[in-house]
Amino acid sequence: MKIAVVGKGGSGKTTTSAVLARTFARHGHETLALDCDTNPNLGISLGLGEEATERLVTVRDAVDAGEEDHAVSPDDLVERFGAPAPDGVRLAVVSAIQNPEPGCP
Amino acid sequence: MRVAFVGKGGAGKSSLAGTFARLLARTGQRVLALDSDPMPGLAFSLGVGVTDAGLPDDAVEEYEERGRRRYRLRAGLTGPEAVDRYAVRGPDGVHFLQLGKARGPRWNNSRQHFGFQGVLDDLPGDGWSIVGDLPGGTRQPFMTWGRYARTFLVVVEPSTASVLSGRRLARLAEGSRRPRVLAVANKVREPDDGELIAAGTGLEVVGAVPMDRALADADRLGLPVVDAEPDAPAVAAVRSLVNALREREVSS
Repeated sequence: MKIAVVGKGGSGKTTTSAVLARTFARHGHETLALDCDTNPNLGISLGLGEEATERLVTVRDAVDAGEEDHAVSPDDLVERFGAPAPDGVRLAVVSAIQNPEPGCP
Repeated sequence: MRVAFVGKGGAGKSSLAGTFARLLARTGQRVLALDSDPMPGLAFSLGVGVTDAGLPDDAVEEYEERGRRRYRLRAGLTGPEAVDRYAVRGPDGVHFLQLGKARGPRWNNSRQHFGFQGVLDDLPGDGWSIVGDLPGGTRQPFMTWGRYARTFLVVVEPSTASVLSGRRLARLAEGSRRPRVLAVANKVREPDDGELIAAGTGLEVVGAVPMDRALADADRLGLPVVDAEPDAPAVAAVRSLVNALREREVSS
């Protein structure tokens, strides 16, 4: 099962995603939560805590700075850039933007 | 004054920006309200009655640069003329111009994007105040959609995610041309919410808007809160914010 949660800002996408992910995990499903927001906060709603959520973004920064290699496969991405969240959910941040270049809309 | 509202999605940027623009206009300023968020919002809090007030296709022309297709305002059309011709007039004399709303999955918005940015680079000057409502999140507001602003108001509600977004925005601002960045606390319920937001974002809190049922009711009906509930505490708080920023303009 693959679910994407979309909607207007502030309507509750992140909260809904987190509750869905943890509920599926509690029902015994192996669950991957992907944060595709350029301002990623899913870690907070999953219960990962502020520090761990910010650290995930920092790992992504390191890739941008060339200090770490890009993920070679989806599994590699989830393994290296993911973090374990409560109930066995695996969280990965896909598209955080930290230092955007001017001109990219 | 040139201000832009930024912050996490749902923090209340559009509600506060629209109210701010209306109240600023009532002080005698000529106000241009700019909506660069592709999601609707500012039109409702201003009460302009149009939710798609972008530049028409023929205001923008296509040209080629090093083999690439580019867009700019059509020859002879300046930013102030575009505002005069295409901005919608709303209550209190506020002028309203939009990036334009998404028109279906295959709609190519390059024309609107670059045309609108052409206006941002050539805004009317003397006697005009600019109030911008930017897209939610941390996607480079400082260098693109808000590049005209001298003051950025980061709208922050007392939640971990909103405060964290405010801190990220403060960090991004440091990396750009160092504009003045201030926080506005919104949906405030507890006496120490302002302190929590100041400590969490590292920003000075220039205003605090209380959690106000009137604002939610107005949003529900798609009406400006300044019209629906002019005496609401949230409106009074935005009026104080307008005054605080006007005083800073005078002193700077």
